[in-house]
Amino acid sequence: MDLTHRFTVPVGVDETWAHFNDIASVAECFPGAQVTSADGDSFAGSVKVKLGPIALVYNGTGTFVEKDENLHRFVVDAKGKDKRGNGTAGAKVTLTMASNAAAGTDVEVVTDLAITGKPAQFGRGVMQDVSDKLLGQFVACLEERLGGEAPAVPPADTEEAVTSEAAAVAELDATSEAPAAEVPPPAPAAAPPAAAPPPAAAPPPRKNDDALDLGAAVLPILAKTYWKQAVVALVVIVVLLVILF
Amino acid sequence: MIPTRFDYVAPTSVEDALSALAEAGDDAKIMAGGQSLLPVLRMRLNAPELVIDLGKIESLRGVRDDGDAIVIGAMTTHHEVLHDPLVNEHALLVARAVHDLADAQIRHRGTFGGALAHADPAGDLGAPVAALGADFVIAGSGGTRTVSADDFFVDIFETAIGEDEILTEVRIPKHTGWGAHYEKFVRIAHQWSIVGVAAAVKSDGSTISDARIGLTNMGSTPIRARGVEAGLAGAEATESGVQAACDRATEGTNPPSDLNGNADYRRHLAGVLTRRAVLKAAHV
Repeated sequence: MDLTHRFTVPVGVDETWAHFNDIASVAECFPGAQVTSADGDSFAGSVKVKLGPIALVYNGTGTFVEKDENLHRFVVDAKGKDKRGNGTAGAKVTLTMASNAAAGTDVEVVTDLAITGKPAQFGRGVMQDVSDKLLGQFVACLEERLGGEAPAVPPADTEEAVTSEAAAVAELDATSEAPAAEVPPPAPAAAPPAAAPPPAAAPPPRKNDDALDLGAAVLPILAKTYWKQAVVALVVIVVLLVILF
Repeated sequence: MIPTRFDYVAPTSVEDALSALAEAGDDAKIMAGGQSLLPVLRMRLNAPELVIDLGKIESLRGVRDDGDAIVIGAMTTHHEVLHDPLVNEHALLVARAVHDLADAQIRHRGTFGGALAHADPAGDLGAPVAALGADFVIAGSGGTRTVSADDFFVDIFETAIGEDEILTEVRIPKHTGWGAHYEKFVRIAHQWSIVGVAAAVKSDGSTISDARIGLTNMGSTPIRARGVEAGLAGAEATESGVQAACDRATEGTNPPSDLNGNADYRRHLAGVLTRRAVLKAAHV
């Protein structure tokens, strides 16, 4: 199955291209992600995933099978496996960048995905929420970095992080050929009540740097019961893994 | 499947549980009734070094009267809540929702606080508790703090409870004499709500003077349908009388799409189920 996600970053295509080729730098935008090795066109890393009662560590590897600097396009083969062997994901990801009218860069990610994993029972297919949230965070961070001036938001600063995340989600244009992905992106108005409690009532910061990435955990779990949603979300996760590794 | 190896402690006080939690940190997992955690462990979706079982802490069990509120201990089982006279008298909506929650086995093992801390958006307790304006009492090493329902539910599976904290009790303002109904829409009786509506209504049988409405699975957290509540104040307790207010059930919602139904379907359900819940709560 092919799935497509699009987002925009506010810098020129050459700079974006250069940035995306710096694997370690992009990986820093994904909380909990670590690049353990990068060797030529191959790389390996891990992502720690936490979502409610679930906590998993995914190890993954990827290879750039095609890199075309003129067309600003690269293709990556990626494989991920849960550390305890609960599920695997494989994806071929094609990422294309193009200049847009506003002197920014439109990035399109097409993912051809294959997954295996265990089914589990949760209240619903949470994939859309999770993938929106993840991609939103990731893009917000990328935009900041590519924007250059703004200092990176400290991951521990919940309120700031949430704000930028909400903004990013609003801008996010994630489309997909899968029916499950036809949910509109969360409206900015809908996000704050849940995400940004009033400062007075805010609990002490508790989202540590590696506790924010919720997505990959859910994917293998719901793969059988909610396979469409799982596919959508897993794509996003794998896309992210691939992008940042 | 068999869980990975873990250590297990069953402290008898909240203080002991907190210090065990502080010591183990990220490697520990709190267990209440275990109805969500154990499947996760068995599927090896989590592998904590230590499981801290709250089941032996007597102070966390039971329901008590506290003036203008009732207080439900976090480790009170669903079954106990369902049959508790204080709950049925002052927070009937909670009893109605628990009645439809999962199956009898789970209601005997699962706990009120455990389900709320789990914060599954399709769980049946969030909506009634949010609708009645409950407060959550959370204990940490620095003492206890109280969080309102609006602030307690942060996101899907995510609450205001910190990594080093434990939910100890839930305070529910008394709604004595209010009619109540929980309208749950599912394909299979004991399953998770596709959409659920919790309605508490104060009425004289013909006119509604006040209402509290909560929605299950219409967003990443339970949602308080304040638009419906406002519209119902003073409304006639008839199908046509409540229609306009119930049409506002989708305000501020962001329902998911999954194999049970897409977001539009859920929005439609929310309006229909709200009308049914309100009318049943008003005894029409």
